[in-house]
Amino acid sequence: MGRYWRIFREFFRACFVEELEYRSEFLSNLLSSFFGIGIAILTVKIFFYQTDQLGGWTYADVLVLLGVFNTLRGLIDFALRPNMPRLLEHIRKGTLDYILTKPVDSMFYVSFRHLMFWRLIDVLLGLGVIGYGLVQQHYMPSLLDVAMFVISIGSSFVLIYALWMMLMTTSFWVIRIDDLSFIFDSFFETARFPSGMYRGWLRIILTYVLPAAVITNMPALSLLGRWNVVTTAVSVGIAGFFLWLSHRFWRFALRSYTSASS
Amino acid sequence: MVRKYIALLRMKYVEMLAYRLATIVWMTGAVVQPLITMIVWMNIRPSQSDAFVFYFMALIFVERMTSAWDVWELDREIRHGTFSTYILRPLHPIHWAIAENIVYKGLFLVVLVPFWAVLALFVPVLRLDVTGTQMLLFLPALVLGMMLRFLFSYTCGLLGFWITKVTAVYSMMEVVSLFLSGRIAPLSMLPPVLQQWSIFLPFRYMIGFPIDILTGAANRADIAFGFLVASVWVMLLIVALCLLWKAGLKKNQAVGG
Repeated sequence: MGRYWRIFREFFRACFVEELEYRSEFLSNLLSSFFGIGIAILTVKIFFYQTDQLGGWTYADVLVLLGVFNTLRGLIDFALRPNMPRLLEHIRKGTLDYILTKPVDSMFYVSFRHLMFWRLIDVLLGLGVIGYGLVQQHYMPSLLDVAMFVISIGSSFVLIYALWMMLMTTSFWVIRIDDLSFIFDSFFETARFPSGMYRGWLRIILTYVLPAAVITNMPALSLLGRWNVVTTAVSVGIAGFFLWLSHRFWRFALRSYTSASS
Repeated sequence: MVRKYIALLRMKYVEMLAYRLATIVWMTGAVVQPLITMIVWMNIRPSQSDAFVFYFMALIFVERMTSAWDVWELDREIRHGTFSTYILRPLHPIHWAIAENIVYKGLFLVVLVPFWAVLALFVPVLRLDVTGTQMLLFLPALVLGMMLRFLFSYTCGLLGFWITKVTAVYSMMEVVSLFLSGRIAPLSMLPPVLQQWSIFLPFRYMIGFPIDILTGAANRADIAFGFLVASVWVMLLIVALCLLWKAGLKKNQAVGG
């Protein structure tokens, strides 16, 4: 474990140096992040212009949820999004060979080799919106609330990682030209709003099959002090299970990998 | 000119066939956000659920039919210098883009209309209950929307002669247009200030206006005024496009190529 942490720190350093080459991009990226969160808040405002609750959540609650959504998306864009399309490239060009020969777990390497630092701005902005929402709600989270929040957002991240990894692993059999990240984006977009909003079979799917609604709702509810030990424990268990499953799937897929280059 | 267009259309048609699967997969990606927005509104106003279903289904249709991707293409071609090959040809490059738009929108139509018909079998709200006049007004409004969005996107693309981050600017405009075009909410649901803005800016006429005609939300005076504003914007954009084109050619440095 300690070894992997050291390797991750090394990736971090290498990518940071790389990123410093493009300093002039920083300002425009900063602007677009601010713009993005501003628009998201405005959208919520438009909805609440016509109502005072959405799926049982008040305006301030939805702001906290939006903050969680932005934080989680920032984390995904920071660590996962730069890597997933590259996996397709590796498989298609046969450059996965180089990774397989390295003495590290290949799934770890392909998942975290490339990091996009400026996306951490979105994480900060997301935390800012969470703070703003909590102030609007006049709720000061206790230490326990925050702990529950950290646990549940962590397990959400692991769950997203595992699901996306499994989606990408299918490319060992079906080699596509375009990456499938937009399928993931559509799925994640449903996590922007309270899950109580969805009804009938859609709600069942988004809670149990593709738990998009749960991954943002639970951390938000934790921070608002409405956590539940059992559901949090279950979510950690599920995330662990899917992580294990995706790793097994990856190993299984590697068996059918026949290097593309000669 | 007609012969040239037939050749262009045939060429673009063959090109499209090569990518048809990718195109259809991409189309499904454009459906999710309107559907989520629809669910939000159905939660806010449960009594008007049917109206929202119709509105957002029409939105998906109109949004696809008016979609414009020319800014991305132009940006890439100008930056890579491959745009020069178009400039050398004896036909204005815009005709290639127009032909491409016609072909792709034909494909969208062929996919979406039967899809709507099948859906209408199961969802009664979607059975079109419109008068002949409404349909007669809807079609030109849709064509105006296509023209507006195409011209807007192409004009922005021409800015690529001067600035390198033109797609970023365009994306920002797209986001602003989310509110003003009727994609986040029907015009009547917006705060009054935004309603006012959207009546005079071009974005509403790209998407929301044809839908409002179809749903009957726009009355006669609104429709007449809408057509007027939309036509003025089309003309303004054509003028801007011509001016930018002339100035841009002088500026063009053809990087690489």
